[in-house]
Amino acid sequence: MALVLLGVGITLIAFTLTELVPGDPAEANLGQRAGADPAAVRAFREHYGLDRPLPVQYGLYLVHLTQGDLGQSQQSHRSVRADLGEYIPATAELAITSMLVAGISGIALGVLAAIRRNRLTDQLLRVVSLGGISMPTFWLALVGLYLFFFKLSLVPGGGRLDPGVPAPPHLTGLYTIDAMLAGQTDVALNAMQHLVLPALVLAAYNIGLLTRFTRSAVLEVIDNDYVRAARAKGLRESRVITRHVLRAALPPVVTVAGLAFANVMTGTVLVENIFAWPGIGQYAYRSATTLDLPAIMGVTLFVAVVYILVNLVVDVLHAAIDPRVRLA
Amino acid sequence: MRRTSVGARVLAAAFVGLVSVAAACGSGQTSGTSNKTLVIDKSFDLKTADPQREFEFTGGPVDHALYDTLLTFKGGDVTKPLPLVASGYTASADARTYTFTLRRDVKFSDGTPLTSADVAFSFNRLINLHGNPSFLLDGVTVTAPDASTVVLTSKDPNPAIPFIVPNPALGIVNSTVVKAHGGSAQPGADKSDTAETFLNATSAGSGPYVLQSFSTTSEVDLKANPKYWGSNKPAFQTVVIRNLEAPTQLIDVQKGANEVALDLSPDQASGLTSGSLQVKQTASPNVFFLFANLSPQVSPVTPNPHFQNAVRYGIDYQAILQLAGTGAVQAPGVIPNSFLGALPASAAVKRDVTKAKSELQASGVSSPSVDLEYPSDITLNGLAFDTLAQKIKANLAEVGITVNLRGAPVATSLANYRAGKEQLGLWYWGPDYPDPNDYLVFLPGGLVGKRAGWNTGAAPSLEQMGAAAGSTADNPKRQQLYQDIQNSMNQSGPFFPLLQPGQIVAGSKSLTNLAYNASWLIDVAAIGTS
Repeated sequence: MALVLLGVGITLIAFTLTELVPGDPAEANLGQRAGADPAAVRAFREHYGLDRPLPVQYGLYLVHLTQGDLGQSQQSHRSVRADLGEYIPATAELAITSMLVAGISGIALGVLAAIRRNRLTDQLLRVVSLGGISMPTFWLALVGLYLFFFKLSLVPGGGRLDPGVPAPPHLTGLYTIDAMLAGQTDVALNAMQHLVLPALVLAAYNIGLLTRFTRSAVLEVIDNDYVRAARAKGLRESRVITRHVLRAALPPVVTVAGLAFANVMTGTVLVENIFAWPGIGQYAYRSATTLDLPAIMGVTLFVAVVYILVNLVVDVLHAAIDPRVRLA
Repeated sequence: MRRTSVGARVLAAAFVGLVSVAAACGSGQTSGTSNKTLVIDKSFDLKTADPQREFEFTGGPVDHALYDTLLTFKGGDVTKPLPLVASGYTASADARTYTFTLRRDVKFSDGTPLTSADVAFSFNRLINLHGNPSFLLDGVTVTAPDASTVVLTSKDPNPAIPFIVPNPALGIVNSTVVKAHGGSAQPGADKSDTAETFLNATSAGSGPYVLQSFSTTSEVDLKANPKYWGSNKPAFQTVVIRNLEAPTQLIDVQKGANEVALDLSPDQASGLTSGSLQVKQTASPNVFFLFANLSPQVSPVTPNPHFQNAVRYGIDYQAILQLAGTGAVQAPGVIPNSFLGALPASAAVKRDVTKAKSELQASGVSSPSVDLEYPSDITLNGLAFDTLAQKIKANLAEVGITVNLRGAPVATSLANYRAGKEQLGLWYWGPDYPDPNDYLVFLPGGLVGKRAGWNTGAAPSLEQMGAAAGSTADNPKRQQLYQDIQNSMNQSGPFFPLLQPGQIVAGSKSLTNLAYNASWLIDVAAIGTS
């Protein structure tokens, strides 16, 4: 019930706000000539249901939504569901790779910084992590492309695959996985190569963020009595860190990592633009600039679902990591 | 010691995290192209591959490669329509009836012959879909008296038809195939035609390429048509048209083997001529213009003819050209310099601050303050409207006119522009087809004229000249009429043509026949290698 109410609330707000924008979708989508042709404007409005009163439009949208129909995009002329099915996996592949890198590296570096507190390693990592957080992603993307693609030829240019390389058969929409499932190792390798640079660029901010959060969280628990007790019992230092320190320090880090993942899933427009990555960010941008209401609504719902799911997963992980959450 | 050991392990884990991804780099292809593939980089505005629905910049090169037209242009020359599917045509003296004779050896990609029925179906479908390009055949009826003859009959005299027919939106589809997939050319096709989904997956034309894959946001892949009927087979087996923004195009075009960038600004292209690249630079047919609204309901100031002259002579046209970079030229009139009827460069308005100040004084308006509206999120040929608007504001301040910049995203600024509510407006006009008839919209009562409050009856002599220019088939006479019209508009009236920005086509040096075309940007099938 709560989810239904949330869905109605989100769609209502998005619908109302989009309608408040002082623009006309017919004018934004039809050209100079067609926009002045009453027959073309009428055909456009009828086709997209814009000739009906606003409450009717919204009511119909909700009815169709219950049947899984998100409407037709005025930009791509396809169903929004088909568009999302194509663009979400592209962004998901990028976001998952980026968060894997950021998660592993950020947490590891954060722990390292904490256990080397105030020593050279710690100070170095704090400076580097501050740099990761401070550098604008679009700038990093352009510099990375220039350096690693243009100058050093270490990675390929934009896109998910080299030009002319056919996409693997669609199963998950994640090219690396689909190509491997289809036995196309060359395509899988090509897809991985294309993932490297955009994923690292996206990861840079989150590596810095997670390093700093992890360091701070570890420092909060590392001098606790139970940690000293664990050491006094003669446990190996690695076991003390992983079993006693990290486990207690992880919950806030997981919360931040969850939000970071949601941000990456829903906020990659600049990186997608620079790397010609056909993901949800580019789709959202085009939809917003052309007042493509069905697509805007679809993207809005997607963003809401991502945050709801991420919160859910974070709660489950908290319970798995911290027994006190389960008991509560 | 133990702490050091843990630190080392943690450091190793972090290192693995970073390096595991980088390890995927391997020894794969990194140049981005193979020798048999031509890569075209373009910032996409693509919506569809359906020729009768397409009217976007990116759709031009796609559909031009997939679908043949009755007539065509060669290279960048859009002043001479040449035979393609039609071996020739005749025009009636009143410019109302055009009879096209079709070649008999043209075949679609499935091997079936192209006949006049396919042409009639395609053109009627265009008309009845009521889509973006439908206006191209406004008032035209299409008949096919026999299998190799097509007759276009226009309600009004229309000497522009031979220049309209090469437009990719008039690409000829295989009517049998399209009908079988939901296509309709009947009245009501805007509701009943469902062939777009099919045409976005499979092409049904007779062009040198067939559609391999289509995405409106990533790339369009074309494959050479193995059954292409023409004698000039395409040099590249595969063409990939990719969606890339200009900064990325700049990097990629320098790296690729057979690569072309279409969106570079003159500044970005300035350092590319050396080495392995070639840069073709022409004046774009897009014309930036400013207008002052003639409606007193919109502004008490802008309808004043002396105020308009103050604006006309107050703008520093040469300084504006500096903003646009090399390749840009001052627009001598509303018709771009490469089209029939264009004014010579010497006829362009020149800045005269003294005259502008005296005109402002003669207007009787002291310290006028007007709003200038423009699309703030558009950059065309590397020139941002925002930058241009700021320059105009500075120019007119020297004359004594205060300009308040009112930029807004195009989706919202279009509303006021099209409703004719802007006091001063800064916009551009890109050619729908390369004929001066496309510029009659600037006259009183025309599409753009009305947006400046210039309604029918406001300038009867100009309107008469426009009617004559738009209906005569005699090209020298048309040229003179259009020049007279523009000279008159440069003397008085609400429009101030500003500039045509530089149009850049940058590509690998080994490529041949790189040329910008005002109708389809670039002819990918004509591009070869030296």
